Amino acid sequence: MSTDTPSDTDGIFGLSYRGEKKLFARLKQISAAIFVVVGVFPVYWMLQASLTTRERASSGIVSWIPTAETFTLENYEVLTNPDVALYVINSIVVTLGTIILVVLVSLIAGYGLARFNMPQKENFARFLLLGYLFSPIVLGVPLYLIWQNLGLLNTRLGLIIALTAISMPFAVWLMWKYIQTVPEAMEESAWVAGASRWQGFRDIVIPQTQPAIIAAALFAFALAWNDFTFAQILLPSNEASTFAPGVFRLIQRGYDIARVDVMAVSMAMTLPPLVFAYFMQSYLLKGFQIRSL
Amino acid sequence: MAGETLEPTQTDEPTIPWHRLPVNKETLIGYASVLPVLILYFIIAIGPVAYAVNASFHDILLLNPQWEWAGLGNYYEVFALETFWASLWRGIIYMVGSTLIQLAFGLWLALALNKITRAQKFLTAVVFTQYLIPTIVLAFAVSYMFTPNIGLGVLQNLGSGVLWGADTAPLTFSQTWAMPLLILVGTWKFGVFITIFALAQLRAIPDRFYEAAQICGANRIQMFRDITLPRIQGVILVAVLLRSIFMFNKFDIIFVLTQGGPGEATTTLPILAYQTAFTGGNYGLANALAVVMFLFLAIGAVTYFILFNPSEEVETST
Repeated sequence: MSTDTPSDTDGIFGLSYRGEKKLFARLKQISAAIFVVVGVFPVYWMLQASLTTRERASSGIVSWIPTAETFTLENYEVLTNPDVALYVINSIVVTLGTIILVVLVSLIAGYGLARFNMPQKENFARFLLLGYLFSPIVLGVPLYLIWQNLGLLNTRLGLIIALTAISMPFAVWLMWKYIQTVPEAMEESAWVAGASRWQGFRDIVIPQTQPAIIAAALFAFALAWNDFTFAQILLPSNEASTFAPGVFRLIQRGYDIARVDVMAVSMAMTLPPLVFAYFMQSYLLKGFQIRSL
Repeated sequence: MAGETLEPTQTDEPTIPWHRLPVNKETLIGYASVLPVLILYFIIAIGPVAYAVNASFHDILLLNPQWEWAGLGNYYEVFALETFWASLWRGIIYMVGSTLIQLAFGLWLALALNKITRAQKFLTAVVFTQYLIPTIVLAFAVSYMFTPNIGLGVLQNLGSGVLWGADTAPLTFSQTWAMPLLILVGTWKFGVFITIFALAQLRAIPDRFYEAAQICGANRIQMFRDITLPRIQGVILVAVLLRSIFMFNKFDIIFVLTQGGPGEATTTLPILAYQTAFTGGNYGLANALAVVMFLFLAIGAVTYFILFNPSEEVETST
C-alpha cells in the first residue's frame, strides 16, 4: 500500500503530499479561528457594552472589558421600563402564537400531503414555494389597508396571521417530507387494531414526527422573533408594538434610552437564540437538510 | 394541541353517504387537510398582491383613503421616476454584492468546518447564532460600533486614521461607506445560510471517494473540482437563488442602519416603496412600486431557473 506517497510532487504549489496535507490542516485552523473571532465579536461587544456604566460607554475611551469600576448590572433595569417590558411581552406573545399556529396548520397539511392521494398535490406544494418571492414590503404595503379595514391593524393577532403565512411554505414542506419517512404500516397496524385515522395520527404520527415539529417550531421562532418589517408596518401604535420596531422608535424619537440600555435589552432578546443555537443544533440542521426544490 | 382544529382528518362519520357522492372520501379529506394552509396563503399572499394590483390603478392618499381611478398613471410615474431607476440599480448592487460575498464567505467557511472534528458543537453554535440573532439587535450593535467618540464605537475607532479620516461622521452617514457597511453586515448575518446548506451536503460525501482519488494521484484542486463541486453545486445554486431574492427584498437592516441615507445613497426599492407609502402617503404609487418589484423578481427568478436549473444535481449514492 503506497497511499501515503502516491507522488511526491503532484500536489498544488509543488508541495509533497504530506506538505500539502499539513498546509491544509493549518489553513483550516486559521480559517476557523478567524471565523470564531468575527462571529463572536458583535455578541461579545453587546454583552460587554450592556455591562458597562453609562458614563464609561459615552466617554471617548473604547473599553474592551468592563473593569471593576465600570462594571454594572444597572442597565438591565431597562427591562422594567413599562414601554420596553410591553414590547418584550408583545414579542413573546406574537412569537408563541406564530409557533403554535404554524405547527398546527403545517402538521395537518403535511399529513394530508403525505398520506392522501389527491390530484394536483405536487403542484399545490410547488405553488406554496412561490411564497418566497413575496417580500414583507410587497405584502406589507397592501396588508396595511386590508388590516385597517378588517380591524386587524395594531392587533397582535394580525401580526401572528401574517407571520404564520410567511413561515408556512417551509413548514409544510418540512412536515410533508418528514411524514413520508414515517412508515405507513405502523398506522395501518393501528387501524387493524381498531384505531380511527385521527387516533392513528395522534398516537403514531405525531410522536414520530417530533423532530420535524421541533424544527418547524424553531424556524417559526426565528422568523417571528426576528421580524421587524411586518411589525413596523402592521403595528404602528405604541401599545401593540413588538420589541424590534418599539425600541427602534424609542431611539428615533430620542427618548431617554441610553445606548447601554439598548444593548441590555438587545442582549436579553439574544438569549433565546443563543440557547437554541447551542442546544437545538440537530433540529435546526434537520430543517436545512430537506431538499425543498 | 387543540383537538378541534384537527377535525377535518376524522373519518368516522357514518351519516355521510360517501358511495353516492361524486368525490372520493380520501381526496376530500386530503383537500380538507391543506385547506387551512390555502386560506392563510390566500389571505396573506395572493390577496394582498391582488389588492396591490388594484390599488396601483388608483390614486390613494393614505391619510384620506379615497380611491380615484388613475389607470396606468401610477406606472407611468414609477417608470418616469429618477429615484426608481437609481433605487433599482442600488438594489441590484446590494443584492449582487452581498450575495457574492456571502457565497465566497459561506463556502469558505463550510469547506473549513467540514473536516474539523474538535469543538464541533461550539463552532456549529456560532454558525447558528449568526443565523438566529435578531437583525435589529445586530443593527443596533453595529450602529454603535461605528459611532465615533464613544466607548462603544470600537470599529469606527480602529479604522479611523487608517481606512477613513479620524474626524469622519459615523460610517452609516458616509456617502462612501454606508453601502459597503450594509453589505458587510448582511454578509455577517446571512453568509452562514450558505454554510449550513453546503455543510449538510458536504458531510454526506463518503470519505472513500477522496481516498480513491488520492490513490490515483489527484491533488486537492482536482479532488475539489471532480468530487466536491459536482455534489454541492445543486444546493449552492438553490441557496444563491434564495439569498438573491432575500437580499433584493431586504428592508430591515437598511432601514434600521441608514433609513436609505445619507441622501439616497442606500435607498433600495423596498425602502423607496415604504417611504412612498408611509412617509410620502402616496399609497397608490407605493403599490405600483410593490407590483413592479414583484414582477422584476419573478422574471429574475424564472430566468435564473432556465439558465442554471438548480434542481439538477449529482446524487451521492452509497
